[in-house]
Parts: sequence; C-alpha cells; structure tokens
Amino acid sequence: MAGIWVVAETNPDGSLARSSSELGTLGRTLAEASGVAATGIVVAADPDAAAAELATYLPAVIAIPEPAAADHAWGQLAAERAAAVIDASGPTLILASAGPDGRDVAGSLLALLDGAALVNATAVAWSDGESVEMSVFGGKLITISGFVDGTGVRIITVRPNAVNPEPAQQPGGVERRAPSGSTTLPAAAIVDRLESEGAAVSIDDARVIVAGGRGTGGEQGFELVEEIAGLLGGAVGATRAAVDSGWIPYAQQIGQTGKIVKPRLYLAMGISGAIQHKVGMQTSETIIAVNRDPDAPIAEFADMLVVGDLFEVGRALVTELKARKG
Amino acid sequence: MTYRLSEEQVLLRDTLHALADERIAPRAAEIDRTGEFPEDIRQLLAAQDVLALPFPEAYGGVGADLLTQCLAIEQIARADTTSSLILTVQGLGSLPILLGGSDEQKARLLPDLASGKKLAAFALTEPEAGSDAVNARTRAVRDGDEYVLEGTKRFITNGSVASVISVFAVTSPEGPRHQRLSCFAVDVPTKGFKVARLEHKLGIRGSPTAELEFDGVRVPAANRIGNEGDGWKLAMATFDRSRPAIAAQAVGIAQGALDVAVAYARDRKQFGQRIGDFQMVQAMLADMDARVEAARQLTYKACVEIEAGSPETARWASISKLVAGDAAMAVTTDAVQVLGGYGYTDDFPVERMMRDAKITQLYEGTQQIQRLVIARALLGKG
Amino acid sequence: MALRIVVLTKPVPDPAAAAEKLGSDNRLDRAASPAVINGNDEYTLEAALQIADAQGAEVTLLAMAPPGAVETMRKGLAMGAHRGVLVTDPALAGSDVASTIKVLAAALRQMEFDLVFAGFDTSDGVGGIVGAGLAAALQLPLLSSAARIEPNVEAGMVRVRRISPTGFDVLEARLPAIVVGTQLLGAPRYPSLKGIMGARQKEIVQQSLADIGLSGGEVGGAQARTLVTGRRTPPARSAATIVKGPPDEAARAIVALLVERRLI
Repeated sequence: MAGIWVVAETNPDGSLARSSSELGTLGRTLAEASGVAATGIVVAADPDAAAAELATYLPAVIAIPEPAAADHAWGQLAAERAAAVIDASGPTLILASAGPDGRDVAGSLLALLDGAALVNATAVAWSDGESVEMSVFGGKLITISGFVDGTGVRIITVRPNAVNPEPAQQPGGVERRAPSGSTTLPAAAIVDRLESEGAAVSIDDARVIVAGGRGTGGEQGFELVEEIAGLLGGAVGATRAAVDSGWIPYAQQIGQTGKIVKPRLYLAMGISGAIQHKVGMQTSETIIAVNRDPDAPIAEFADMLVVGDLFEVGRALVTELKARKG
Repeated sequence: MTYRLSEEQVLLRDTLHALADERIAPRAAEIDRTGEFPEDIRQLLAAQDVLALPFPEAYGGVGADLLTQCLAIEQIARADTTSSLILTVQGLGSLPILLGGSDEQKARLLPDLASGKKLAAFALTEPEAGSDAVNARTRAVRDGDEYVLEGTKRFITNGSVASVISVFAVTSPEGPRHQRLSCFAVDVPTKGFKVARLEHKLGIRGSPTAELEFDGVRVPAANRIGNEGDGWKLAMATFDRSRPAIAAQAVGIAQGALDVAVAYARDRKQFGQRIGDFQMVQAMLADMDARVEAARQLTYKACVEIEAGSPETARWASISKLVAGDAAMAVTTDAVQVLGGYGYTDDFPVERMMRDAKITQLYEGTQQIQRLVIARALLGKG
Repeated sequence: MALRIVVLTKPVPDPAAAAEKLGSDNRLDRAASPAVINGNDEYTLEAALQIADAQGAEVTLLAMAPPGAVETMRKGLAMGAHRGVLVTDPALAGSDVASTIKVLAAALRQMEFDLVFAGFDTSDGVGGIVGAGLAAALQLPLLSSAARIEPNVEAGMVRVRRISPTGFDVLEARLPAIVVGTQLLGAPRYPSLKGIMGARQKEIVQQSLADIGLSGGEVGGAQARTLVTGRRTPPARSAATIVKGPPDEAARAIVALLVERRLI
C-alpha cells in the first residue's frame, strides 16, 4: 500500500463536514494498522478552516483552494484536483463519504484513475489488506469484501455514522497547494441557491420516526414529540388513538389502518404496542419505547423500554440531545 | 382448455396489485363508513385504463379477454369490494351492447364507457321480479320511432351514477315467456326517469344500489339493442360473461381476508406464543387457503372455457360463481374468527370483508339460481 | 428536434419479496428472488416521461444485465418508455462497479442522447456512484441529487435543482449531460393497462460486449477487482433492555443506544 487518502467535504460555512471527521479518524486508524501514511485532501473555494480541522485527525492534509468551487458543482472539480495530488503509482486507498457529495467525487475518481470501488461501507478494518463490511438486502445480511491483489487504486465510500470521530494526540500539518491548469471535466455551474423548509420527508421514507400515542394526552404532548423528532432529524408518527382524538393528521397514522413504516429508528412515546399499531412499525431497525407501564406489550418487540413518564423522560432527552449538538 | 398467464397478464396483475394496495386499500374503510360513491377511485380506474378492459380496442378499449378482466377484478376486490364493483358493473351494464348491439350503437355508446367518462348500469330486476326476472313487468310500448318505458327497477347497482343503463322491458306481454322482453340502452338523466331511493345495505356500502322509476321515459328505437323479444337471450348471454367476473370478485375478497388473517396469526401473541403456532388456527388458515385457491383456479378455467366458446358456457359461469361466492363467505367469516374480538371491530378490515362477501351469494343470480343452471346442464330440460 | 433521454435501469431482487440471498459463490443468486426495476430508477424514468409528456422526448431504457432483464424492462416500456437497450453477455456476470461504468459508457458512446438519467442508488448495491463515473468517463457534466430536471433543448442546456443542506442549489450545464435523480422527482406512475398491452410492440435491442466494442479481457467478471470474502447475519433482536430510574439517567441510556447504533 503506497498511500491512504481521505477526500474531505466542507459545510456551506467552510467548516469540516462531520462525515469527514469520521473519515479522518478512519484513515488514521487504517494508517496505524497498515503502517502506511494517510493524507487528507480538502478541495474548496476556501479550504483553510476545514483543512486545519481535518489536521486534528490526520498527520498530513493538503488544502487545495479552487475558486470555481464557489459557484460550480463540487464533485467533478474535487475529483480532478484530488487526482492531481494523489500519487497513484502503487496500491492506493482513497476514502470518501457515501453521502451525495462523496458519491460524486468517488465515482469521478473511479473513472479518472481507473480504480475499483467498494461502496456504502458500514465498517472498514485492516487485516492484511482492507476488510470492508457492507449491509445488503435491506439489512438482512452483512457482507465482508476486499480488493483483489494487485489492484491499484482502491476507493471505499463509507456510510455516515459508521465511525466515531476521535482527534489524534497531535494535530498534523497542513500544506496549501494551489491547483495548476484548468479542469477538463465540465463541472455544472451553480446559478442560484434556494432556501427551503427542507424537502419535507413523509413518514414513508423517514429514517427516524418519533411517534406519539394515547399517552401524549393532546396536541401539547405532540409538540414534545415534534421537538424530539426535529433534534433527531426525523418525522412524526402517531397511533390511531391520537389521530382519532384529533391531535395529529391521519397522514401520520402508523398501523393497520394507517401506514406501514420501516425506519432505522422508531421512538415510541406513550404507545402501548397493541397489535393494530405493532403491525405498522415492528420491522423498524431499532425500537425504543417510553411508557409508564413496565408490562406494555411493546416491550416484547422493542430494543429498549424506558419505564417512566413520557414528558419527564422526553424533556430530559431534549436536554441531552441539545447538549450533544453543542 | 388450459391457461398460462402471459407476460402482459402478469404485469397487469402485478400493477393492479400495487395500485390496489397503495391507492384503493387505504380508502376502503372510509368508503364503507361514509357510504359515499368513491368518485376518486372511479377517476383513478378510468385514468389507468382499467374501465377500458371490457371494451374492444376499436372503441378505445383495451380489448382484454375474460381472464384478463377477471385478473383485474380480483386484485381490486382484494383491497375493496365496492371499488371492484365499479369495474364489474361497467362490464355488466355494457355487455348487452357489446353482445347484441349494432355497429352504429357500439360506435355511439361504447367509447365514452371505455374511457370511463360515462358509467353503465344493468336494469333487469324489479320489486316483484328478482330470481323470477323473466316475469318482469316494466313495459316498453312502441310509439312512432320511439318506445315509451313505464315501470320500476330495483337493486340496480350504479343506478344513480350511471349515464347509460341497459333496461329490460316487456315489448310482447302476450308472447312466449322468453320472448317477452327487449333490451334498451337508455341515456340518463332524461324526462320521466327518477332515482326513487338508494338502499342501505349490509355491505358494499359505497356502491349506490338504486330503485329506478321509469314514468313515460321516451327511448329512440335506435337504442333498442337487437330485435324485439331478444331481451332474455341477451340477459342470459350477459350472465355467461358477468358471472365469472363476480366469481373473480369473490376470490379477491376471500384472498384479502386470508391475507389479513395470516398476518394477524404471525403477529398476535397469546399464551406466550404467536397464535399461528396453534394447530386449530393453522387448520383454519390452511382450509381457507385451499378454498381460495380452488375457487381461483376454477374461475380462471371458466374464463378460458367461456372465451373459447365452450358449449357448456352457462355451466362454467354458474359453477365458478357458485363456488367462489360460497368460498368468499366462508373464508371471510373464518377470517373474523381468527382475529377473534379484534375481527369483530373496525380496527381490522375483515368484518367489512365478511359483510361485503355476502352479496356475491345474492346478485347476478342467487346461489340457488346457479344450482338450477348447473343441474339443467347436467340433466337437460325436464 | 425532440429531446433524447436515456434512462439507466437495473433489475434488482424484489425488495418486497425479501428473498434475496447470495449463492455459494458469494454472488447474488438471481434465481432466488423475482426481479423488478430498481425502485430509484422508476423516479428518474417518471421524470423522463413527464418531460416527454410536456415537451416531447424519446425515452430509451438502458441496462446491463442478464437476458431475463427484458421482462423487467417491459414495465418501463409499459410506463411509456419508447424502446430499450440491453447489454448482456455471459462474460459480464460478476462484474464490479468499475466494469459496469465502462460497459455503460461504451454502450452510450454508440447512442445519440441529450440526457442520461441515473437513479440515486440501487436497492441491492446502494452505491450511487455509477452516474458520476459515467460523467467522468464520457467527460460530460454531472448534475446529481436532482429534485427537479428542466431541459431546454433549443438552448442546448439543462437546469437541475440539486438538494443542498439549506434547500436547493440550481445547477446549469450544456447538453449532453448526466443527471442523477432522487425520490423528490415525484412518485412514479403506474403503467396504464394500454401501456402494458402495448409494451410488446416496443423494441428491446440486445447487445453483446462485441457489439459495443469491448471484450471479456477488459471488463466483466474475470476483471472484477473487488470480491466478497465472507458474510454474516446481523444479530436478531434480543429481549428489550428495561430502563428504570430518574429521567436524566433514562435520557442518557437512550442516547447511549442511539450512539451505539450509529443513529446520531
């Protein structure tokens, strides 16, 4: 292995994207396990702040100022500029995020450098070579994959939240490298930016659902449910009892006479778990229930039952989540 | 005659399966509760060319054979019987025109029915002539180049929402029994036509079942389908094709109920285990599945035999409707049983399916009439 | 001059059937599960059909798949696509994503198009890098994460609303271009029954590797540079952890589980 490279992304305000702090940590971990040097790359109109932050995770970072990134789609630009600094003369591992921008840069690099790719990894380890775990078939199976011996450029896209960011003991160094020449890929121009309430995610597709039942007691109870959902980046669901009582619209009803959902997280507040509701959400990946009743049927199929008052626990959860966001 | 589903039939079935699950099933409970005709479902079916299924391509239809029509009916009925009725009655009400109409009549009447712009209805039954439909009393008296209709029809599905009604009326009161009736395609609304009342029913509550009054309704002679006296023959020929459709509807209802019961048996826990692990529940579900499948295969077979012009067409039509209707009633009742107390409430759809299933034993000829038809096929006329 | 749109489609195991499995060779066992068009490809196909409805367009489906894919492509034709191109060759079984990109690029080089639409990712691979790879291979603009696609064939341009952290970025590029779609493009239509009955009349051209100027020595299973070395099933849900105690301890327990499960 000649080198490990982490292609980082930035937030609109120029700070380092959270997924890149995860990738930086991963890159450093793999470097330590393999004995190969790891380097971060930040391509942005103004890369310095993000590069400095990335350097808290990696021993070396190359900051590439690319003015065109201010008003052009990032993926193709970043891939060309990164390809110019990546020394691909030996086996080379490139890490990118599996998010929308990471996919763009990874796919572009794949073609530019004639590489091979493993995508949407949930874990990457070093075991005499890369060992990449991927969750397939809707979560029913985990595969472990690697690259064939002799493969030159190896690209891995990594799922967000797969790694916990951990700064290095000593921050690394940042080298600023201005790009030379123009790019050949015709990156699309950004001609306008629109602010939006956000693409309203319906509960059908939501990755996180926080649902309220009879125990919420009314519209005010649902305000708490909504607040928690907002902090977790999720949608709000409800049982039939809550909908019938008029606390929340039918479009958000989950269960036999409502919707069947399969989010990654289902947080059930004041929901007993009776069968009519159970059929609507029982295949959620993680189910956490908050209920006063320790014998609530939902305990039979939840991962965690918190026995307590949903308002007290809910408010404490809001405090915890806000503290984490910092 | 054997059958094998073509690629198109499989895609059609799967498409309607998804459509029924996603767009029709969520409306079913509300349609039943409010008893309102689901105009949105009618528009959906028209837009997806579902209502075009029974009509030839020349008139804007899909030109589907009977089996294909039944595949569609079965998928929709699985989700909601009332919605499936929109399709079955579009076929029923149009069949006299399709089977006995002149080219001019077909060209004039069928395109709007194929597009779903207009709905059809079939008006044979009267307050005093149900099973004994041949003794209908509604009169059609010739007056110049018109007929004047006088009488009452009862239990007419879509009677209040249809624009073209196939009405059977007596043109030869003194004639031989099976030549008394003629069939007319009546465009409504029209002077003298009245929807007198709508029935409040046990099931299919979103389907308007109407009593129609014809009080001096004038119908152009050009709207008489076939010759004077052809009415009964047309009605019988219609039933040969419409009864399998009801069989398909019954199969759909039964399958829908079975699906709910199976899912429930997987999820519901009592005595520390899922109820699907108890042999009595397993036996019920197995018997239900066997009955549904038997009814389905019989229905599909009947479709291909009838489409191929079997000399035993009437027997096939009646056998399929008899078996499927009884299966639907039994399977939906057992589905309620599997769900226990929950099955009796409207938290689950099986109680509605059970109420809906009953009609398949009653309309388009009661199960008793079906038995008479079958027996006659076996024994010949006495 | 009508717009020419190529929509990439991939047959995948039907997620609803939940029957996907790997064979003993660690490759997808295609016989184990019925195949359907990848769900995300239906959104981009719907976008192409809406453009065709509004301003006229020729919509061609393109897939690299085993010969049985003709049946799954039939649904796309039933929805309204005009024709299909299926690149199929025994040598392609077991291809990795790099091969897939090379094959699709070669097929596209033989086609005339203004736009290529790719789905956000596939339900079986969940990678989502093919669109970007194609754009780089063909040296075309990449407009990804598209929530809205607005081509202007007279001006030779396309405008796309790309989902951004704060809303949307509006991208613009010259045609021909590669667009990667999202579910925000709008719910796919059901095939109309007339569409289903008429799909048989539409042509699906099958092309081998030789037809697109490639060989098994350059692409395909023999050239795959990634391999599955093992598999395991995720642990089944065990009994619920019961948490009692004061609310702030409970809240911390919840957060700890969320962190452990990588949900925050």
